[in-house]
Amino acid sequence: MIDLSTIWTLSTTTWMIPAALIGLVWGILGGALPGISASITMALLLPFTYTMEPVVAIVMLASVYIGAEYGGSIPAILIRTPGTNSAAATVIDGYEMKRQGKAGEALGISLWSGFLGSLFGLLMLVTMTEPLSWLALSFKPTSYFGLGVLGLSVIASMSSGSLVKGLAAAVVGLMIATVGADPIAGINRFTFGVPELLGGIEPVLVMVGVFALSELMVQSGAPELSTLKEKIRVRLPSWETMKSLKRSQAIGSIMGLFEGLTPGGGGSIAAFLSYNEARRWSKRPELFGKGSPEGVAAPETANNTVASTTLIPLLSFGIPSSNSTAVLLGGFLIHGLLPGPRLFEHNADVINGLYFGSLVAIVGQLVFGILLLPACVWLVNRPRPFLSAYIMALILSGVYTLDHSLFQVGFVLAMGLLGYLMRRCGFPFLPLILGVVLGHMVESSYRRSLVLSGGDHTIFLQDPIAVGLLLASLCFIAFSLWRDLRDARKSRAAGQLEETHS
Amino acid sequence: MNNDVVGGVVLLVFDAAYFWSTQQIPVSMLDDAFGARGLPHVLAVLLAVLALIITFRGIRALRNAGAAAGGEGSVGEDGADHEAPLGRALGLLLIGVGYILVLPVVGYPLGIALLIATIALYEGAARNWRIPAAAIFGGVLFWLMFNVLLGVGQPSGWLF
Repeated sequence: MIDLSTIWTLSTTTWMIPAALIGLVWGILGGALPGISASITMALLLPFTYTMEPVVAIVMLASVYIGAEYGGSIPAILIRTPGTNSAAATVIDGYEMKRQGKAGEALGISLWSGFLGSLFGLLMLVTMTEPLSWLALSFKPTSYFGLGVLGLSVIASMSSGSLVKGLAAAVVGLMIATVGADPIAGINRFTFGVPELLGGIEPVLVMVGVFALSELMVQSGAPELSTLKEKIRVRLPSWETMKSLKRSQAIGSIMGLFEGLTPGGGGSIAAFLSYNEARRWSKRPELFGKGSPEGVAAPETANNTVASTTLIPLLSFGIPSSNSTAVLLGGFLIHGLLPGPRLFEHNADVINGLYFGSLVAIVGQLVFGILLLPACVWLVNRPRPFLSAYIMALILSGVYTLDHSLFQVGFVLAMGLLGYLMRRCGFPFLPLILGVVLGHMVESSYRRSLVLSGGDHTIFLQDPIAVGLLLASLCFIAFSLWRDLRDARKSRAAGQLEETHS
Repeated sequence: MNNDVVGGVVLLVFDAAYFWSTQQIPVSMLDDAFGARGLPHVLAVLLAVLALIITFRGIRALRNAGAAAGGEGSVGEDGADHEAPLGRALGLLLIGVGYILVLPVVGYPLGIALLIATIALYEGAARNWRIPAAAIFGGVLFWLMFNVLLGVGQPSGWLF
């Protein structure tokens, strides 16, 4: 339940509101930088949240996500280069509007649609997450084991790339999680006499290396982007325009809701789906691709809705369904919080703070979205070599602050290499991160259950929640296997057909 | 060789090293039935199976006229079009390693300034006054931000 007195106390006694606004500003600026996705913008900030109060840190990270979704549309509209993946659909009509001298209007539509999408997403987050919290009381160690297995199997099978690669990435993540003392007997594993490894590997190190550093490595030597010379001002849509955008915004909101709830979904899929649907349902579909305001409104509403609705599976079950929520999960873990059923029971203040902080960021987006445009344009125009240098400096300095350890800085470099190789070979990141995050929970709940039953595995069959979750995992893997085999068969058949024709 | 074969072989090598390391985990009197070695063993076997599937799939793709070589999703998750070759990406990583090595000698402000200058040069910045200016500005900015504003000390060296 939303507790107004808790929200009032948090607002007056913590730095929650300033944190929401700082996170929002950081998110808009980071999102505006092409190549720096929302998850990377969040990962760069992650080490800095280490010393903050839990609620302040979580609010700041969630606000970064909200800001980055709008920020991504700025270069998409102005220089035809999406700042984030989810802004790719905005390029189509946003840049056309800019070419027609309507850049200010396009940015205004993006900002207004993003505001509405975020508000709708927050409303869904509050109404849908709360009822799931009652599950907290029914969860036993066996249920947590089932939950961990379900999370891993769902993400591995639904992430981009094949099922096998997703599963392999998840296993590597679990392997990383086995480093350090084992959860039952406290025996050191894979520490090789290195004292820094005794406590295990912080998921945040893996996230920063895999998301942020590997992106710098992949982008190394990339050509300069086009620069922007003219001065542009955001123009919020008139009442008439707002009315004409209602349909496309409604479509964006619904697509954003469903994609946010879907594991492996996310802002980019929601944006493209809603763009297509908005065109299909539009009274003037012929304008799409030629500078249609609806073509900007639909994807921007969708990706901003996703920024909130993607938190529903994270908060309810502790399962991040996108890279950005995986980083947010890292923020929770840094402060010893594990999202999932028990979070509502033990840390209701964090949940309430997150709701209110998100609202502050969403409202603030309307103001800062306008004020920060010159700063975003200035940032986008900076030479890439200097941007890379400063981002690398930020990564290495930020990681050092976690534990004042140069070993950890070196470890992040190694994770950067891992991330680079995974990108090159087409392995998805999310299962790896989830393996690192859930590894401890999966192993400890499994072994604790066996200790309780005296080594009897039938204990898992005596818990209906665990049985349900494990069966669901099996179904997901079986479905993905069937999908992979069907796709392979189809492509083989298509290849044979081509050979016959030639 | 396609990406699946490379990925599969790298995973197999990593898995062999991991499996060898599981043998070094001591057995304790406090262990439960599954034991500290239990999960690592299961994971090593699982990864071996998955790596073999990926490798064989890559080999089959190579045989099938090479058209479909590379498997699915060889573009990174974040969808960037540009993909630096391994040598170039490793160069960036080596600069990071160099930063760790020189830090205990030159200290944080100078170390971070050197890092910024080196990366800017490596990434192709024009060799003019902007590089030292950006490096000095960055050194001061980061030092102020971490040591003064946030109060989290960065390493000091022999020089600073």
